[in-house]
Order: sequence, then structure tokens, then C-alpha cells
Amino acid sequence: MRFYVVLRYVAFSFFLNAIFLALSAVVSLIYADEAFIPLLYSAIIIALFGLFPVLFIPPIVQIFNKEGLLIVVLSWLLSCLIGIIPYILWGGEFTVTNAWFESVSGYTTTGSSILTNVEVLPPGLLFWRASTHFIGGIGIIIFALAVLPSFGVAEMVLYRSELSSLGRQNFQYRTRKAIKILAGVYLGLTLFNTVGLFIAGMNLFDAVTHAFATIATGGFSTKNASIAFYQSIPIEVVSIIFMILSGMHFGFLFSVFIERNTTFWKSSVVKYYIMVLAAGILISTLNIHLYQGTAWGTALRHAAFNITSVGTSTGFASADTAIWPAFAQMILIFFALQCACSGSTSGGIKTDRMVILFKAAGQQIKKLMHPNAVVGIKIDDIQIEDEVVSESVLFIPVYLVSIFISTLLLTFSGLDSLSAFSGTVAAMGNVGPGLGTVGSMANFGHIPETGKWILSIVMLLGRLEIWALLIFFLPGQWKKSVTY
Amino acid sequence: MKLRLKILSGFSILAVILLISAGWSIAELGRMGHSVQKLLDENYRSINAAKEMIEALEREDSAILTLLLGKKEEGRIILFRADSIFNKNLSIAENNITVAGEGGIITRIKSTYSEYRHLWRTSLTEMDREVNRDLLLTGMHSSFLATKSASHDLLNLNDKAMYKTASDLQNRAQRATMPGIITVIAALIFTLIFNYLVNYFMISPIVTMTKNITQFIERRKPFEFDIETHDEISDLARSIRDLSAIIQSRSV
Repeated sequence: MRFYVVLRYVAFSFFLNAIFLALSAVVSLIYADEAFIPLLYSAIIIALFGLFPVLFIPPIVQIFNKEGLLIVVLSWLLSCLIGIIPYILWGGEFTVTNAWFESVSGYTTTGSSILTNVEVLPPGLLFWRASTHFIGGIGIIIFALAVLPSFGVAEMVLYRSELSSLGRQNFQYRTRKAIKILAGVYLGLTLFNTVGLFIAGMNLFDAVTHAFATIATGGFSTKNASIAFYQSIPIEVVSIIFMILSGMHFGFLFSVFIERNTTFWKSSVVKYYIMVLAAGILISTLNIHLYQGTAWGTALRHAAFNITSVGTSTGFASADTAIWPAFAQMILIFFALQCACSGSTSGGIKTDRMVILFKAAGQQIKKLMHPNAVVGIKIDDIQIEDEVVSESVLFIPVYLVSIFISTLLLTFSGLDSLSAFSGTVAAMGNVGPGLGTVGSMANFGHIPETGKWILSIVMLLGRLEIWALLIFFLPGQWKKSVTY
Repeated sequence: MKLRLKILSGFSILAVILLISAGWSIAELGRMGHSVQKLLDENYRSINAAKEMIEALEREDSAILTLLLGKKEEGRIILFRADSIFNKNLSIAENNITVAGEGGIITRIKSTYSEYRHLWRTSLTEMDREVNRDLLLTGMHSSFLATKSASHDLLNLNDKAMYKTASDLQNRAQRATMPGIITVIAALIFTLIFNYLVNYFMISPIVTMTKNITQFIERRKPFEFDIETHDEISDLARSIRDLSAIIQSRSV
């Protein structure tokens, strides 16, 4: 392990953060708000920190997988640390714990907030808050690789370390092109969503910040009541469309919209994703209508928005889901666990793993019936590697055990069981709002300090898909090697 | 990059971090001082004036009771003294309008007090007439209450403004200390990284080169040492390698 190599590449994530801090400072300057100095100060400090290793350490072309993994994990952890600086410099509700929670929630695109009143924040700080979603959306390293000059061979290692094996599946391009496609689709979606929201009635500032949060499937809003503030069907429709698109594999979106590939609808994962989402909306509409007496139209409107929001791990809200009937709440929990497709900005278990799980269950039944048969798993006529299948199937119980442990710890810290469980599910899936006291119209401000730290670790676990963070903390993984 | 530039860049970055932080802390402390001055000048003066006006009103009320008891001279003295205090403080408040809505309240005080004043001035001559006494006292009391209520409004408004300024001061105090705290942490981390890099790219290669030279002198072990830093140390390593190669070839 060459720490200086890690240091040099982590420094590039500092530059990325410094760019967005400087942009936020510009926004602050335009609105003449009080966040200008904290944002500018943070931008300069972070840029200087990033500059030094790049100047001091000679360029290194070859990096090892372990180094790549450490670069990715450290980039996430240090970005979250960078994210707290403007918050604690601003003050208000931001104690160190609260700022850390808000920062982790932003970068991991969870969207849970400790703020009781978002609207008192100056526009510059609100822009920075939305930017943390935007930076974390496609992954800090992928974003850095896309906007910074090519790193040669190192680029491939970093790309493989950041994107899960599932995310890379069905995305058979050379590394540089794959990164360009991911970044292109990401920026394109953000641009179109901004225009859509602006036409639907939002002002430009709100449209940009909400687009950042939508495409990154984050959920931070500039309003206390989230999307419910606008009470606008066009805004909700635009948001639903872009939330669904952001939950799809960006490679698929590139195939469909740029390469005009018509095999899109044959993809089992996308079909499953759309059909389960549609079924969830319909069942919830029925349940809300029958048990709460809500009119059909209103029930459909709220179910469509909130199920899509949770099912894509975005976390915006157009209604208080904490007062929905229990059945509809269970549907929400299911979607908060599953979320959307791999290769997207979404969190959670992911629909790809669900499809593989169902196929693996089918394969097991076939094996029981025909013990000597050689049965592989195919999705859309493509043989899925055993390594990918075992990783996917093992991921689900590890994911659920992590949720159970976190729920236990949260209840121990004094939280009620519904809030602890749903809050953990929402944090692990990077969804945002849970149920109970952490519902869609509430916040996480009242949670005990220890609870906030537990949830922030859970958010990072979910975002880095568990393994990377666990390996990072395993002793003996980071032995030193010497090359000057 | 050459060694001199590398070391210089390290120290320059540290210096810039410290300078920015110090500059910001000084600016925030300056703003804090300005806020304290504002707190005293704008709000405290009006609060004090409002308190004095309420006190003067109470005295005027007592003076009217004294008049009713027949102590005309004593009542008259108290009344005019209190009137003078009231007007003096009203003038202070009028010249210190700093909070939104304060002007409206002062106009209200002026209007109600003028009515109240007119009534008690009339009472000084008309109080003796039994018919007018009740009528005068009823009107006077309602004007007294209206003036007192408006003075209380002025007091509350400035109280609230003072609380807000004090809260802002608390935030400013945090903003003045936070850059210092962050800079100390940043400087510590930076020093550690700088130390690690200096040790790794400067000290360690020199130590290894020294060891290799000793081995070459003692056992003629070939000097093999690759370095990728492209600075004076890599130049030195290359020169020593060339030198050792020449010595080796001559000794053979």
C-alpha cells in the first residue's frame, strides 16, 4: 500500500468539492447573503489542501486495486468531512454532529435532514447543500474522473473500485467512454429536469437545486414542506418522470436516447422496476382511498409521487406518509429496501439483485428437481457470472442484518421501534424520510447525538454497498510498500 | 518540481491558510464590536426612553390624584416635572427610530399623550367644577391607558430587536471562533501530511542512498536506487550511480 498514491488521488476529490464550494460562493454573492465568506473560506482551504499533494507527489500511472478501493472510501469520508465546514462556519442549528449528519446525508444522497427550518438558510448554503447531492450522485470518484484530466491506467482501477460489479454489468464500454457516458447522462438529465421544473412553475434557483436533488436521487429541498410546498401537479409530474429516469441504469438511458436502441424494453430488470413501481402505486392508491376516504384522484396523485420518490430512493414528499394506512406504509418500507436499478444514482438493495435473487431461487428449485443438471442464471440471454450471483445473493442478508443491528442500537439510544427501523431502512437505502417521528414531514433533529452518528455510518454503508467500508476498517489490509 | 519549490509551496499554503483565517476572525470581531455598539446605541437608548416615559406617566397619574385631594400646588409641581421628563424622553425616542414600526408607535404615543396632556391641563382650571370632574377623569384615564400601552409597545419592540441583535451576536461569536478552530485543525493535519511527504520523498531516499553508498564502499555492492521524483534528490541518485559505475569499471 502506497499512502502517497492514495493521498495524490484523494486530492482530486478535494478539487471537485472546492469547485462546487466556489460555485456556491458565487450564488451567495449574487443573492448578497451572509454565507459568502464561510463558503469562500471553505473553497480556498479545500483547494489549497488538494493542491499540495498534487504538487508534491509525482504522477503515478499504475495503481493497485487495494489502493483504488482506499482512494474511493477515503474520498467519500473526507468529502463528508469537507462538507461540514460551511455548515459549522454558518452556525445556527449546525452543531458538529448535526453538520456531519447533514453532510453525510447530502453526499450519500440520502436527503434526511436535521434542520427544523430549512427556509432560514441563505441561498448560497442551500446551493451547497444541493451540491453535496450532485457531487455524490454518480459517485465522487466517477465525477472527479469525468471533470478532471485523464489519469490513464489508474482511471480503470478507480472506475472499477467506485462502481459495483452490478453497475458495470451490461455496460461494456472502455473505461473512458463509460465515464463519459455516465457523466453525460447525469448532466443531461439534470439540465432537462431544471428546464422542466422551471417551465412547471419553479423559480430558477429552486429548479436547479431540486434538479440536483432529483437526478442524484437525494431529496434535499429548499422548502420545509418539500415538494408539497408548491401544491403543483405539473411540478410533481416532472419530478416523477425524472425520478423514474434517474432510477434506471445510465447505460440503458444512453442506449435508448442516444443510440436509439430498441432492446430497452426487453430488459428484465427495467421491466421489473417499472412494473413493481406501477403495482405499488396502484395498490397504495386503493389502500389510501379505501381506508382514509381520500378521493381517487388525490390518492393516486400522492401515491404516485411518494411511492416513486421512495422507490427511487429520492425522498421528496408531497404528503405526510406517516399518517398513511399501515398497508401503504409497508409498501413504502418494501420500496425503501429495494429501491431502483444498479448503475443509477439510486441506493438500496437494487432491482437487479432482486431479479438475480428470484432467478437464483428458481435455479435452486430446478436443482432440487434435477440434481445432476447444470443450471446457470441468465438475464436477457446473458449468462451472469457466478461471482456476481453469489455477491448479489449474499449482499441481501448482510444488508438486512446491518439494518437489524442499527435498529437495535437506535432503540437502545432511546428511539421508538417504528422510527428506529424505518429511519435505518431509509438511511441504509439512502432514501431519506422514514415513518413515525422521522416521517416525510418531520426531520431527524430530535434524534439523540449517538443516533445521528449511527445513522450517518449506516448511510455510508448503504452508499458504498457495505463491502468497501468493511474492508476499509479491517486491520492488516493496508500494509506499507516502499517505492520512491 | 524542484525541492525548493516543493518546500516553499508547503509553507506558503500553510501561511495562506493562517492569513485567511486571521483576516476573517479580525473582520468578524470588528463586526461584533459594531453590533455591540449598535445594540447599545439603537435599542438600549429607546428602551430606556420608553421606561422613563412609563415612569413619568405614572407620576402624572399620581399628581392628578394629589390634585383631587386638594393639594393643588404639590400636584401641579409633580405634574409639570413629570411632563418635562416625558417630553424629554419622547424626543430621545423620536430621534432614535431604528426598528421597523417604531415610527408608527411614536406617532401613536405623541397623539395619545397630547390628548391626555390637554385633558389634565384643562383639569387644572376646570377640576373645581363638580359637573366637569367625572367627565374629565373618565377621558383622562382612557388617554392615560392608551399612552401607557403605546409606550409599552415601544419598549417591547426594542426589547425584541435587542434580543435579535444579541442572537446575531452569538452567531457572530461562533463565526469568529470557528475559522480559528478549523485553521488549527487544518494546520495540524497539513503539518502531518507535509512531514510524511518530506520524510518519504526527502529524508528516506537520503538515508537509503547513504546506506547503499556505505555498502558500495565496503563490499563494492552496485549502487542501485531508482527514484521517480524528478528533483534534486533524483539528480543526486543518478550522479552517485554514474560515479559508482565509473569507480566500479576502473577498479575492474
